[in-house]
Amino acid sequence: MREAYLGIDIGSISTKGVIINQKNQILAKEYLWTEGDPIGAAKRLIASLEKQFDKENYEIVATGTTGSARKLVGSITGATVVKNEITAHAVGTTTFYPEVRTILEIGGQDSKIILVENGIAVDYAMNTLCAAGTGSFLSSQAKRLGVEVEDLGRIALQSEHPTQIAARCTVFAESDLVHKIQMGYTKEDIIAGLCRAVVQNYLNNVGKGKKILQPVVFQGGVSKNQGVVAAFEKELKCKVQVDENGHLMGAIGVAILAAQGKKRKKFDFAVEDTEFRTREVCCGKCPNNCEIVCVYRDGELIDAWGNRCEKGEISK
Amino acid sequence: MAKNRKGTKNLAFPRIANYNCAAKYIMEQGLEQHCVLQPEMTRHTLELGTKYSPDSVCAPFKTSLGSMIEALDAGADTLIMTYGLCRLGYYGELQEQILRDLGYEFEMVNLSEFTTGKKKDYLKAVKKLNPNVNLVHFAAAGIEGLKMAEYVDEIEETYYKNCGFETEKGSCRKIFRKFLRDMEQVESRSEMDAGYKAAREALAGVELEKPEHPLRVGIVGEYFTVMDAFSNLNLEQKLADLGVEVHRWMNVSHRNIHYSGEKNLNVSIRDLCRFEMGPTSTANIWCARKYAEQGFDGIIHVKSAGCTPEIDVMPVLQNIGEEYKIPVLYLTYDSQTSDTGLMTRIEAFYDMIAMRKKVR
Repeated sequence: MREAYLGIDIGSISTKGVIINQKNQILAKEYLWTEGDPIGAAKRLIASLEKQFDKENYEIVATGTTGSARKLVGSITGATVVKNEITAHAVGTTTFYPEVRTILEIGGQDSKIILVENGIAVDYAMNTLCAAGTGSFLSSQAKRLGVEVEDLGRIALQSEHPTQIAARCTVFAESDLVHKIQMGYTKEDIIAGLCRAVVQNYLNNVGKGKKILQPVVFQGGVSKNQGVVAAFEKELKCKVQVDENGHLMGAIGVAILAAQGKKRKKFDFAVEDTEFRTREVCCGKCPNNCEIVCVYRDGELIDAWGNRCEKGEISK
Repeated sequence: MAKNRKGTKNLAFPRIANYNCAAKYIMEQGLEQHCVLQPEMTRHTLELGTKYSPDSVCAPFKTSLGSMIEALDAGADTLIMTYGLCRLGYYGELQEQILRDLGYEFEMVNLSEFTTGKKKDYLKAVKKLNPNVNLVHFAAAGIEGLKMAEYVDEIEETYYKNCGFETEKGSCRKIFRKFLRDMEQVESRSEMDAGYKAAREALAGVELEKPEHPLRVGIVGEYFTVMDAFSNLNLEQKLADLGVEVHRWMNVSHRNIHYSGEKNLNVSIRDLCRFEMGPTSTANIWCARKYAEQGFDGIIHVKSAGCTPEIDVMPVLQNIGEEYKIPVLYLTYDSQTSDTGLMTRIEAFYDMIAMRKKVR
C-alpha cells in the first residue's frame, strides 16, 4: 500500500480536487462548479475522485483544504491541513516551477500576485476593495454577451482591434461595455477588450508597485482564457506560462502541504454519503452579536467558529 | 445608568484603544467630575456610528460617533472630543452637529476649538469643564493620568511580544485584562503604581516557550486604527496567536508624551522623503526603516480607507521593502472589512515570513 494525499480547493465559483502520490504525480483530479453549495460540491468532488482513484494500491493518509470554504470543508473531511489559498498556490507552483519569479493568479472572486525568490514567496498582494478583474466579472459579462465563459478566450483571439473598455471598476467597466455594444462594436473586439481590461485592472490594482520578473506563471480559473493570457503577454512584454493544471494549483499545493505535514489521518470516502448541516447562531452575549457557524454531522455538532471571545465558545 | 451626582458633570470621551482609564483618571481626580465609561466598542458601536455618518468618511469617525452615542445613552451629559492633525480636527464639530440633529442634549468640549497654538488656551477648556477647578490639583492629576497611559503602553507592549509564546494559553490575557480593569478603578498614584507593578511582575512570571530568534513583525500605520484592537480586528492578537513577536512603536507614550518632534524625526529620514506629510507619516516611515534595519521579518502597514496621510506613506514603505528585502503587507480597514479576509492575508503573510526564515 502506497501513500497518497488529497487536496481540495473550494473557491467561490469552482471546487477543485486532486489526489497525488509521493512524487507529486496526479492520481485523480476534478474541477466542478461550487454553485453556492460548498458541502454539496465537496461531496460531488469526492465521489468523482473516488471513481478515478486506485484503492487497491494507494491509501490517502493526509488531507488538505484551501479556498474560501477551507474551514467548513476541512471540518467535514477531517483535514490534517487547512491552509489559505495564497500559501497553497505558492507552494504548488514553486514545486513544479522552482525557477518562477512571479505568480499571477486570477480566481473567481479574488486575484493575487506572488513574488518568488529562490523558490520562496517573498511578497504578495491580494485585491482588497473591488472585484474588477476577476473571473466572476468575466463570467457575468459572458452571460450578457450570450457567450459561454469557456469560449471567451477563443473569441478574443480572433480580434485585431480590441475595444477600449474603462477598467477602473467593475461597475464602470460594465456600463462602458454596454455602451460599446450599443455603438455596434463587434463581439470579438469587445471580448478582446474585456480581456485586456481585466489585465489592466489587475496590473493597476493588485500588481501596483510590484516588480514583475520572469519567468512568469499565470494560474487560476481565468488562466484557461487564452485571450487574457495574450493580453498579459502583450502588456508585460514577456512570455507568460500557463500550466496544464494551473486551475488545480491551489488543490495541488495544499495536497503537497498535507504530505509535508506531520499529521496523518486516513481519509474516509464515506463523507460523500454523510449528511452535513450548518446553522448560524447569533451569540447575543454582548452587543457585538458574533455570528457563530455550527457544523453538524448526522445531527451531531462537530465544529463551530466565528466567536470573538470565550463567551461565545460552543462546546462539542 | 450613571448616577448624576449633585453639581458635577457626567463627562465622557469616545473609546480609544486602552486609554479611557487614563482619561477617566484625569476627569475624576483632576477635574473632580464624574466620568461615564461607556461599553467597550463592539459591532453595535460601529453600526450605530455608520448609520449616522457620511458613507465615505473614515472608520474612526464612525466608531467614535458610535461610542459617543453609547456614552450619551449611558448617561453622559458632556462630551469631550480630541483635536487632530488631519481631518480628525474637524470631526468633533461634525459629530456634535450630527448628535444635536438626532435630538441629543449635551454639552460639548471640542479640543479643536481650543487648539490655537497657545497652550494657555487649553485652560479655557479646563475651565469650561469645571469653572471651580483647582489648577494645582488638575496639573498633578494630569501628570499622573499621562503616567497611567505610559503604564498601559508598557504593559501592552510586553503583552503582545510575549502572549504568542505562553505555554498555558490565555495566561497573559488574564493578567492584561485584570490590569486594565484595575486601571479603570484606581483613584490615586499609589494604587496606580501598585496595579502596574503587580501586572509587570505577573507578566514576567508567565512561563514562555520562545525560540531564540522568534518571528518579529513590526506594525506601523494610522494613529487610531493601528492602536485600537477593535478597529483593526485584533490584528496584533491574531499575529501573536500564530506565534509572532509583535512590535508597535505607535502609541500615546511614543507619539505624544515623549515625541521627539516632527522636525527631529524628519531629519533622520531626509533621504527617503523631503516633506512632512501628516500627523504620523514621518514617524511611520522612520519606524518602518528602524524595523527593517533591526532585521525584522516583516512590516504591516495599517490604515483606514481613505486616510490620505497614510496613503502617502505607502510608496516610501515600498522603497524600504525593496531596499532591505523585507516584506510589507498593506491593510486597509473600513466598516465593511471582513474578519475572514483579514485572516487569509495574515496567515499567508505568516507562512511567507516563516518559510523565508527557515531558508535563510
